[in-house]
Amino acid sequence: MRYAIETRNLRISYGKKEVIMGVNFKIPEKVVFALMGPSGCGKSTLLRSFNRLLDLNKDANVSGQVLVFGRNIYSDNVDVMEIRRQVGMVFQYPNPFPHLSIYENIAIGLRLNKMVQTKEELDSRVKWALEKASLLEEVEDRLDDFPSSLSGGQKQRLVIARVLAMKPKILLLDEPTANVDPVGTKNIENLLFELKKEYTIVLVTHEPAQASRISDFVGFIYLGELVESGPTARIFENPQHELTDRYVRGILSIGDKNGRNTN
Amino acid sequence: MGEILIEKIENLKLNVLEMGELAVNMLKDAVLALKAQDINLAKEVIKKKEDIAKMDEQIEERALRMIALYHPVARDMRVIAAVLKMITYLARVGRYAKDIAKTAILMADEPHASKLVEIPYMSDKVVEMITDALNSFKKEDLSYLTNFSERDDEIDSLYYSIFRECLTYMMEDPKNITKCTHYIIVARYLERCGDHACKIAEKVHYMITGERIEIK
Repeated sequence: MRYAIETRNLRISYGKKEVIMGVNFKIPEKVVFALMGPSGCGKSTLLRSFNRLLDLNKDANVSGQVLVFGRNIYSDNVDVMEIRRQVGMVFQYPNPFPHLSIYENIAIGLRLNKMVQTKEELDSRVKWALEKASLLEEVEDRLDDFPSSLSGGQKQRLVIARVLAMKPKILLLDEPTANVDPVGTKNIENLLFELKKEYTIVLVTHEPAQASRISDFVGFIYLGELVESGPTARIFENPQHELTDRYVRGILSIGDKNGRNTN
Repeated sequence: MGEILIEKIENLKLNVLEMGELAVNMLKDAVLALKAQDINLAKEVIKKKEDIAKMDEQIEERALRMIALYHPVARDMRVIAAVLKMITYLARVGRYAKDIAKTAILMADEPHASKLVEIPYMSDKVVEMITDALNSFKKEDLSYLTNFSERDDEIDSLYYSIFRECLTYMMEDPKNITKCTHYIIVARYLERCGDHACKIAEKVHYMITGERIEIK
């Protein structure tokens, strides 16, 4: 079986501080995989290692392997830009370019990467991306407006459209609904559910309920280690590890390492 | 929020244990009333049927509210799921106790056809099974549930033995037919209570381990 992402003994440190301590897991293609865990446990760091975004941080050291569709993205002859096109990232705060129109927010990446030849091609790819992100209907008549006129949830979907326009195979989302209201959250969750038919989605969330609603598989990260991973229904019905049990039930105290004294 | 739910679940468990105690006592008293031909005791059991029905309703309402408000998962979810099924089985045990008590009133005027040893013995065995299933629930300890399948087989054998014995009495003297039919029905109720003890044990097993088993 081919996996979208596979990590082998992945270790990440910032300076001397080790934040990911030898993590091994496999993410199948075209699923929603949720990485959940309390704040500060290393989820976002782990996510950023999947498209070499950590390269931008001089203190970050990565060892071990991250295989994207079987290829180690940390080997020497890898084109980082190519990896990032293949593995798109959406952050916690919706970050459309504020000085560019809704249309231009999507068009700019396509132009810079010379992914389209003609204006017609550009128009159709922009609309395709907005359609894929379930946003076209809502913004069709105001493509020249600035993104400031959009709601938080719409901004986030615009960012997703911007990523989709680059035709990635994998979408990484770092708490994409943390700053979005319940209606916006519902729209984004529905969108992810649709998108997994074509893309592999890795979602970081500190909210177990969100992981249980939309993911197919869950990995529970705690203090830099992968405590447990498996099918979502199994993790939420019958977790095998005491720490997972306590985390999903909302009774894990931060810093608790042994997982005893459970009720 | 997790701690609040845990406290509520602990209280819910106490309510279920209280209901279980009531069901067990009703069953014990009903069989005692039958053997001792004690109409007053039988009437008390019949009155308690209302109490157990009310408990069933209240516990269900509280459990459903916990699901609505706290979205329980993992162990919390399994306890609530087990409780929702257990209370139905316990309410049925209570209902059979009431039915046995009604039979006791019908049979209070005439002497028994025999010494009536097997029905109380069978009842004791069933009560032990229900009590063990409840202890397993209370202490989250699977050791109470070992041999449940064999114990249920023993209950079934006792039922057939009572059935055959009653047939003999009925063939000996047709005047025994009404009495013996009542005994068979009571034995059948007890056999059903044994099955409910097994169903409770299955749910407790799921609650503790997360795995579903079938006790045959």
